[in-house]
Amino acid sequence: MRNSRSLRGQVAIVGVGQSPSGRVPGRSPLDLTADATLKALADANMNKNAIDGVLTGNAFASSFHRFSIALSEYLNIQPSYSNTLQVSGATAGAAVNTAAAAIHAGLAETVLVACGDSLLTGMTPDMAIRAMTESRDQQYEMPFGIPVANTFAMTAHRHMKEYGTTAEQFAQVAVTFREHARRTPGAQKTEPITIDDVLHSKMVTTPYHKLDCSLISDGAVALILTSAEKAKEYTQHPVYILGGGEYYSHEHIFLMPTLTQTGAVESSKKAYQMAGITANDIDVAGIYDCFTGTVIMMLEDLGFCKKGEGGAFVESGEITYGGKIPTNTHGGMLSYAHPGIPAAWFHFAEVVRQLRGACGERQVAGAELGLVHTLGAGFSTQASTVLGTENTL
Amino acid sequence: MNELVIEKPLPTADGDSQAFWEGLRSGRLLLQHCADCGHVQYYQQRICRQCQSDNLQLKPASGKGTIHSYSVVYRAPGPAFKDDVPYAVLLVDLEEGPRMVSSLVGKDFDALDFDAPLTLKIIQINDVVSLPCFELAINELHSS
Repeated sequence: MRNSRSLRGQVAIVGVGQSPSGRVPGRSPLDLTADATLKALADANMNKNAIDGVLTGNAFASSFHRFSIALSEYLNIQPSYSNTLQVSGATAGAAVNTAAAAIHAGLAETVLVACGDSLLTGMTPDMAIRAMTESRDQQYEMPFGIPVANTFAMTAHRHMKEYGTTAEQFAQVAVTFREHARRTPGAQKTEPITIDDVLHSKMVTTPYHKLDCSLISDGAVALILTSAEKAKEYTQHPVYILGGGEYYSHEHIFLMPTLTQTGAVESSKKAYQMAGITANDIDVAGIYDCFTGTVIMMLEDLGFCKKGEGGAFVESGEITYGGKIPTNTHGGMLSYAHPGIPAAWFHFAEVVRQLRGACGERQVAGAELGLVHTLGAGFSTQASTVLGTENTL
Repeated sequence: MNELVIEKPLPTADGDSQAFWEGLRSGRLLLQHCADCGHVQYYQQRICRQCQSDNLQLKPASGKGTIHSYSVVYRAPGPAFKDDVPYAVLLVDLEEGPRMVSSLVGKDFDALDFDAPLTLKIIQINDVVSLPCFELAINELHSS
């Protein structure tokens, strides 16, 4: 299991920083991302000259085609390794996995993995939605008015048909994450909501109501990764990459092999094998929550419960404190922030803080092993990353 | 907001899809049948996705299908679709095997259901583009 081709324990996250998020008017995506980067550097007690690699996603509200290069210039960094990745919502996980691989392979020593956007105030709401919709095929999908939200909606709808999953169970995901957000400083939405509130919020695309859908936000997060050998120079609490796995099963929603089971099965299996663990070992999770039903399907595919039982699993309190797998303790994209591609970077920031034991009143007691699972484009793209404390090495 | 932003996205044919969009203009939904392995595929490309043969033949679909899943859209994906909402998007399982994305003709959302039979209805958008949409097969019975 542990061989020379494994990432297990080779690389650690030593710095985390984030810009203000939620509604942050008057600040460009580059500004937000640079802000997050400076905070991550301060968190790691690191000089920016130590960074020799930069990986980012792209920003919808920025005109730069090579965001990683533009960010480097903005910060006056000249990296010897850089790329702007695009696998939609899975870009966060893919970027962390790829940065770890690059460090392990010697392409870079210390990699900044950052992303920021201003979807809420840098664009009109219609432009923000449209930016999302343009990611679908212009020949065989978009002419029918099917943006990415509807692809996720149709998978959830089929899940209801095949497994009897209910709208109330979807709603419970939103209610739980809202409760989590109430404890998180900086969360965009903190007023309590009930299942009835979700069910009575405006229908967006059946079966999803407004409160089943993630927010639209501004914000940025930066992570700094370095080799395990160097990690202790920067922090007493490195969070190690124990395993990474990805899977890309289709481009068009109509070629998804089955609507109710996703490539998260394969991506997580690979990550767990590399880490030498099973889903049962994981203490805390960050799961991409673009929609409520997405989380229910992922809990099944990531192995936290059986296929078809995700709804009941959520309903019985298993994704909050005291349950089997406390998930999105910051509030997720449903309540904390969703600035587009950067959204899943917040899941990484939260799981890292949980594994540092730095989450205060929202700390999951004794958390040592964490999973971040990011996905995108109608379940086309899947990236799983297992993280662990020094004790798990 | 400029005009580009409010225009609906319409397909632009490329080398792979020229025949497909021409077929729709002449009233046929063309599927690719692999003469080597028998695979039937939607959408169009130069090689078979199952066996990578380029020995593909175009044959019109029967136009019969069923609903695999669907969603009724109330929040328009951008200004271009604002006048259309609510509308239903469909994942259609064609009689020949392939699945495709389409949209429902009309607004009889209460009659939508999983596995409900559908009939192809090609909608002309302009001189160049016609879209393969579907109507509930039961409606056809009523109207005939």
